[in-house]
Amino acid sequence: MKRVVLACVLMLLPLVWAPPAPALDGTAILLQVDRKMQPESYEMYRKLINVEPDGKTKEYVLYTVKKGQDKMVALFLSPASEKGRATLRLGDNMWLYIPNVGKPIRITSLQSVIGGVFNNSDILNLDYSVEYTVQNIKEDGDRYHLELKARNATVAYDSLKMEVDSKTMLPLTIECHAASGMLIKTLRYSKIEDFGDGIVRPSMLETDSPLHKGYKSVMIFARLASKEFADEIFTLNYLPRVEELR
Amino acid sequence: MRFSRSTTCPGSRNSADLPAAGGRTIVLGLLLGLVAAAPVHGADDFTFELHELTKKTHEIGGFVEIDGEHMEIREDGAASLLNFRDDPVSTLDRMTVGLQLHGSSTWQSASINWLGKGIAAQDDLGWSDSLDLYEGYATLRPSAEINAAIGKKSYKWGKGYAWNPVGFINRTKDPNNPEEALEGYVAAEAEWIKSRPGDLQNIALTAAIVPVWNDVNEDFGNEDHLNLAAKLYLLYLDTDIDILAFTGDSRTTRFGVDLSRNISSNFEIHGEVAWFADMPRTILRSDGGLRRETGDRTSLLAGIRYLTSFDLTTIIEYYHNGIGYSEAEMERFFHLVDEARDLYLTSGAASLYDLAGQMSTQGYGRPYAGRDYLYARLSLKEPFDILYFTPALTTIINLHDRSFSITPEMAYTGFTNWELLLRLALLNGPDSSDYGEKQNSGRLELRVRYFF
Repeated sequence: MKRVVLACVLMLLPLVWAPPAPALDGTAILLQVDRKMQPESYEMYRKLINVEPDGKTKEYVLYTVKKGQDKMVALFLSPASEKGRATLRLGDNMWLYIPNVGKPIRITSLQSVIGGVFNNSDILNLDYSVEYTVQNIKEDGDRYHLELKARNATVAYDSLKMEVDSKTMLPLTIECHAASGMLIKTLRYSKIEDFGDGIVRPSMLETDSPLHKGYKSVMIFARLASKEFADEIFTLNYLPRVEELR
Repeated sequence: MRFSRSTTCPGSRNSADLPAAGGRTIVLGLLLGLVAAAPVHGADDFTFELHELTKKTHEIGGFVEIDGEHMEIREDGAASLLNFRDDPVSTLDRMTVGLQLHGSSTWQSASINWLGKGIAAQDDLGWSDSLDLYEGYATLRPSAEINAAIGKKSYKWGKGYAWNPVGFINRTKDPNNPEEALEGYVAAEAEWIKSRPGDLQNIALTAAIVPVWNDVNEDFGNEDHLNLAAKLYLLYLDTDIDILAFTGDSRTTRFGVDLSRNISSNFEIHGEVAWFADMPRTILRSDGGLRRETGDRTSLLAGIRYLTSFDLTTIIEYYHNGIGYSEAEMERFFHLVDEARDLYLTSGAASLYDLAGQMSTQGYGRPYAGRDYLYARLSLKEPFDILYFTPALTTIINLHDRSFSITPEMAYTGFTNWELLLRLALLNGPDSSDYGEKQNSGRLELRVRYFF
């Protein structure tokens, strides 16, 4: 009888004294999000659309290449008034090349080379794990809620609140906050598409801001593909020739 | 072919925000009323079409512009006396039509690029026109690290917005229009780029041979010489650093350094220092004679750009012109022009006018001929939620005589491929001061550009 009781106790023990679940590793999750969103080195096309409260729109088409963690170039293909403009990012450094001006000038992440809600850091966005550290993470059903903190003062947003689908490991919404805690803008990813080569990710990003009520900006992604580039492409001297990479 | 599904963005219309749209309409009405409103995007679907991404071997683009100007002439100013000696005018109205075209043809690692501008202007004094090839050069790129070019090319060396003392082979730009295309010089250029890990991330060496022959770069300097200009660029510890040199017999030898760095996400600093060896200067002596002196000169520029939380971008630059004239030297020249006018009116003799004209072309009449200037530009991005609307205020002050120009402007780029600019420039200062002796006391400009 004692053996039976002991066996029952041992069988029930895991139910009443379960070991603690492994803690969520926010950094690992953020790295997974980055890799799901894009390869480390790639080329892609984007269309940026600014939508005004009365429905009027203005569109920009950009060709973008990225290499490694911190090298990125975006070239404006249209409209004609912007064609040939190119922006380069190397880590925390950003430059804008305007064909007529003929020389790259330094820009900062909070500026916007186009109007609308997107600023330079939205257009030249590196992997989230490069610019932010995970300060807190919570799991709520099939969602992860990550609180991210900027690694240094040159990052555009002081903190992010990111909602991630725990099944796809893709971001759903990202709230961007200033150091004061003020909400600057909200980014919403949608329209998941298969870009080929195992890249399945949102093809659309919408953003709005309480600072620009009624206005919003939309980014559509196309032809995202893994590709390797020479380091020298990501230099000021190469900016006038980025078009030749296409 | 469609790369992404037709996507719908609900909620882009919001009647609660109509006041903002109304504000935009008012500003646009003030600006022009010349351009019909762009069509409203009827359905909220956004697509990406193949033709938007297709690369072409041959490309051509540019803009057409209409520029209307009204100028208030300072009749007793030195510049007006020299320019309108026999036919003084109090106002001048000018209408200019311009066409700027650029093109490129690319075959694998080779390309041909060109840029030209044609202008036709009618003002109260008559008709003028010009047609210039600003750039026309061929490039060859055997690898990402090496690039070679030959032909007419525009150089824009330096970090300053308004001035570039290290721009040894630059054309002088207009600080009120720093983004305008400028005519280049015929040159042969080679460039080597290297990117590497570590504190020194990028290295680039550019060397250009600039010949000056009969009908080739004649306005660059002394003829029948080959000149060499070189720039070594370093991205070191997140700082852009250029080390520049020029040597040749068309101009004196000169060396320079410039740098630029982002201090934070909204704050940038930049600067330039240029050293000119044996730089000649023609000076008007106090006894009325001329003196040509030669000496080493140093020019420098220091600037910042700062962005506030409410999107006000402030650019401030201090410029020391080492070959510029002191306040006393400038006054002496302006007095000479006054004496030339008095002599001409009383006796009809133009000898002093001729001397003043000669002094003007040799230095006193060039833009920013003084010694120390301050430039400030404040531009506010999209105030009152008026998208693509940028009001700005630019001022340039001669720090010695306190004369200045102040230029408020409004720019609107909300209609795709249209750019509208309304600008008022006021120039003021006491008698015998830099801006107090300029040709214009005021200038109102309305410019419309269409890009294609």
